[in-house]
Amino acid sequence: MIEVNGLTKLYGVRAAVADVTFAVRKGEVLGFLGPNGAGKTTTMRILTGFVPASSGRARVAGFDVQDDPIEVKRRIGYLPEHPPLYDEMTVRPYLEFVATIRGVPRREVKAKVDRGLERCGLTAVQGRLIALLSKGYQQRVGLAQAILHEPDVLILDEPTVGLDPSQIREIRQLIRSFGGDHTVILSTHILAEVAVTCQRVLIINEGRIAAEGTPEGLASRGERTRRIEIRLARPDGAADGLASLPGVLRVDRGEGAEKTLVIETDASRDLREEIAVRAVGQNWGLLEMRTLTPSLEDIFIRIIRGETV
Amino acid sequence: MRNTLAIAWRELRTYFASPLAYVVIGVFVLLSGYIFWASLVRFSDLCLRYGNNPYVFNQLNVNDMVIRPLFGSIGVIFLLMLPAVSMRLLAEERRTGTAELLFTCPVTTLQIVLGKYLGAGLLLIVMLAITFVYPLLILTKVSPDMGPALVGYAGVLLLGLTILAIGLFVSSLTENQIVAAVGAFGVNLLLWAIAWAAEAAESYTLAGLINSATAGLWEKVGGGTGGPTLGDLLTRLSITEHLQDFRKGLIDTEHVVFFVTAIVFALFLTQRVLDSRRWR
Repeated sequence: MIEVNGLTKLYGVRAAVADVTFAVRKGEVLGFLGPNGAGKTTTMRILTGFVPASSGRARVAGFDVQDDPIEVKRRIGYLPEHPPLYDEMTVRPYLEFVATIRGVPRREVKAKVDRGLERCGLTAVQGRLIALLSKGYQQRVGLAQAILHEPDVLILDEPTVGLDPSQIREIRQLIRSFGGDHTVILSTHILAEVAVTCQRVLIINEGRIAAEGTPEGLASRGERTRRIEIRLARPDGAADGLASLPGVLRVDRGEGAEKTLVIETDASRDLREEIAVRAVGQNWGLLEMRTLTPSLEDIFIRIIRGETV
Repeated sequence: MRNTLAIAWRELRTYFASPLAYVVIGVFVLLSGYIFWASLVRFSDLCLRYGNNPYVFNQLNVNDMVIRPLFGSIGVIFLLMLPAVSMRLLAEERRTGTAELLFTCPVTTLQIVLGKYLGAGLLLIVMLAITFVYPLLILTKVSPDMGPALVGYAGVLLLGLTILAIGLFVSSLTENQIVAAVGAFGVNLLLWAIAWAAEAAESYTLAGLINSATAGLWEKVGGGTGGPTLGDLLTRLSITEHLQDFRKGLIDTEHVVFFVTAIVFALFLTQRVLDSRRWR
């Protein structure tokens, strides 16, 4: 659905985006992850035809962004970083205006606007002045204008910024509901967001793609060791007792709660059963056991610091 | 077409959703109304005074003494007020980021320019339409010649549309409304004042100037030194000079062509500015 090839955008001598290549399949939800100023917004602006690329090609639904901008724009719904709202308008006429210039046929405008209002939970505020809406509602209006013409491709630049946790949850659910029929690209610097909403992640740093993969794949990538946390009722002597198990590399005291131990083992072996057997056999009083997966945060920080993963 | 109308309609709504339209229309009606009233009072005073002097009385003409000065005043008010109407057209879109919406929708830059221009033009028409009560008011007592009055309206409408087109162009260059307004003021006032040097420039012909600029080469290759003077050129560039014949009730294609060309040129430049985003 989207093919990007060697995309580069220069501002003066500084490259905001440098030789970025990726593809997105139909129905896929792709996350752009990266620190502020990494080139996420610029890449999206090139895809939507707002700024031209300095070199490289971008195609959306088979149409070139530079050569057929109108055809590309017909198929795209776009929520910029700052929702493009006319403060002095009320919600409904604003959405009707956007529907019209996005090419929704006159007869369908009302129905599409109704559906957009409903999907974004805006029906109750449709007569309110946009300037007087809370940030969360404004963000929803921004999202509604992006989805109401039911585009093939949805491009969302930091869609959950400024929302409270329950709103974030609703918006994420909404975005997920678009995957499947629509292709979605969203950018964020919040890691939990990609883990929850995206099937695939591109980590962008300093204009380049630093890593690519599924959220789980990225999280597990490069882990040479496996870490297991256990909680014991009587941990005296347990640390030494576990360290002698074959395959255990290290046993540390757990962070935070008392009576927990973190066991680091060889990644190739699953020692959970042996640990459980020993804990029961030694009567340490096993209360809890869980595998510690490295957070996406850890991976992300390591990638943008340039460490190999 | 539908996109253009949608943009124009939204623009017009915005004018009337903010105080701007009401302030502009209110001040405009107040000023033009006062000027109309003042010339009407003067006219009726003269009629009273010379009522028993048929020679002078027959010289008094409501068209010449009330309606014609009104259009001159409206022209000056437009020069000073219309930059306030045009300043926000594109500058505001860029400042608030809504330009990102317009430029990522399947609309062409020409549709955006025409939509914006049409929106402002409709406000101008509303302003002018209100002043139409003035000639109608006179019509209740005397019978002015309505033909020249209508031509006068066509003239100030063209003048206003030209000022708006220039203002739209300046607004496309900046994201600051004040800069857009001051810039449009500057261009308008220059186009107004440009003819003031015309008399002093009467003695220079254009061909003569080219001749001295090329160190006599022009004359050697057979170009004459006669023809139109620099003064003629300056007069023809003056935006208010082109209004004079309309005020008299004359439709001269020269002036129509001037206004239409100026409008098309300004809109063309605006469209190029918006398009330049795509190759910068």
